[in-house]
Amino acid sequence: LGRSRKSSAASSLVALITLCVASLVLFTIYVKEDDSGPLHTVQLGAAEVLRPVRGLFGLATSPFSAASERVEGALDASEKKELEARALEYEEGAAEAARLRDENERLRELLDGERPSFTYSPLARVVAPVGGQLTERVVINVGSDHGVRPEQPVVVGNNTLIGRTTERVTPNTAEVLLVTDQNFAAGVRILPPKALQGETDEESTTAGESTSGESAAEDASAASEREPDFGADSHGEGLLRTSWEGYLGVDYVDLNADAEQGDFVVTSGRAGGRELLFPPGLLVGTVESVSSQDINQYKNIVVAPAAEADDLQDVRVIVDW
Amino acid sequence: MALGGAQTHVVRATLLVALAALLEVTLAPLLTFGWVAPRFLILGVVVAVADLRDLQALLLGFFGGILTDALSGGLFGVGALGGVLAAAISLRIRVVRRKVGAGPFAAQAVAVAVVVYDLLGLFAPILAGQVGPPVATYLAGGVVPDALLNALLAYLVGDRILKLMTVKEEKWT
Repeated sequence: LGRSRKSSAASSLVALITLCVASLVLFTIYVKEDDSGPLHTVQLGAAEVLRPVRGLFGLATSPFSAASERVEGALDASEKKELEARALEYEEGAAEAARLRDENERLRELLDGERPSFTYSPLARVVAPVGGQLTERVVINVGSDHGVRPEQPVVVGNNTLIGRTTERVTPNTAEVLLVTDQNFAAGVRILPPKALQGETDEESTTAGESTSGESAAEDASAASEREPDFGADSHGEGLLRTSWEGYLGVDYVDLNADAEQGDFVVTSGRAGGRELLFPPGLLVGTVESVSSQDINQYKNIVVAPAAEADDLQDVRVIVDW
Repeated sequence: MALGGAQTHVVRATLLVALAALLEVTLAPLLTFGWVAPRFLILGVVVAVADLRDLQALLLGFFGGILTDALSGGLFGVGALGGVLAAAISLRIRVVRRKVGAGPFAAQAVAVAVVVYDLLGLFAPILAGQVGPPVATYLAGGVVPDALLNALLAYLVGDRILKLMTVKEEKWT
């Protein structure tokens, strides 16, 4: 009996080691193969098959998130409940109207803000987030049938960069790596506000105004509509990345650069050695803070993104430029 | 356990792991908070293989992980390795089940398996040449709360799932 148990334990150990090695072999093959390899193809096919299921779960969980928000609201409202209930009815009507107005404006901006030199995909909706605790990705409902290919810039509003497509592009869906993902990087240029604002706005807008609240958001929105003036004095160049602390920043900006709070951050058309991964002039955000330390070779620049990843609804992919 | 019962048990375990893999890739992304998320695959594997033979358990963990890898967009092989190790941990810890009960057993096994799975998720991207988070921050802010949350989940539902998995033996007449 003892010999039988020893034999069983040994065979289990052999099986465990074999399966671990098989897993590592699969991992190695996956990392080494290109995007058209068999394992990538399997994942691509599975993503297409699971698309309706993901959409269904997204739909199924939306009432729960809405309900939790309502419960939170009810718990907070310990006083003046009657008045608030009455006010709520009016607010709901006003909110619905505001939502429709915002949606109308947003969709209109998307269409009005097109740059003639760019070719856009059809308007796409964000379908679902993608799993993985270390990633910031979403799936959108346009794919290769609409001209979308891997590594194309994805914009929201008037050419505000929010990410790029990954290699996972199916006929009707595409995965988008958001700018807030730690694996995202883009070559950017820091420009003074005057480089992105029209001559009429130039006199009325100062750097101080452009960093304050709604004014900054409006400036950023207006700025993204205009072709940037690269002839203006650049306030520095660097690499846009998100730190693991969650801060969007520009790395490798020279200490001598003139970057200051309120400057606009736009794509430079370069990302490291890769030329034209993004077209130049897509707005990313505004400079929130600039600091430097004697021991550092570069400036520390934190960027306030022009578009919040959490609020994404309608986006477009720039398929050619 | 009679042969028919054993086969039924394997079928139920397989279905449970398949369902867990499906939930892992469809529902878990919607329930992710920072670095913390329910690990349905780990929970499914740990509970499903608790009464299986060693080889059956390891194979089920492996193929459950493969299914997760295929359905998700993650690095292939990480789920498979996580599934195998979760099965191995479940087999190793199941000796305490009779002493402490099904709930605490599932909680312990899932906690350890989630720690292993999270560490795989930490080092796999680095090995693949991608950027990884600071290890200390991730361990404190990601792995520990993730293990605790999933252990709680396993404690609450592990007992019930194990009862569902149990096949009553038919008496000889």
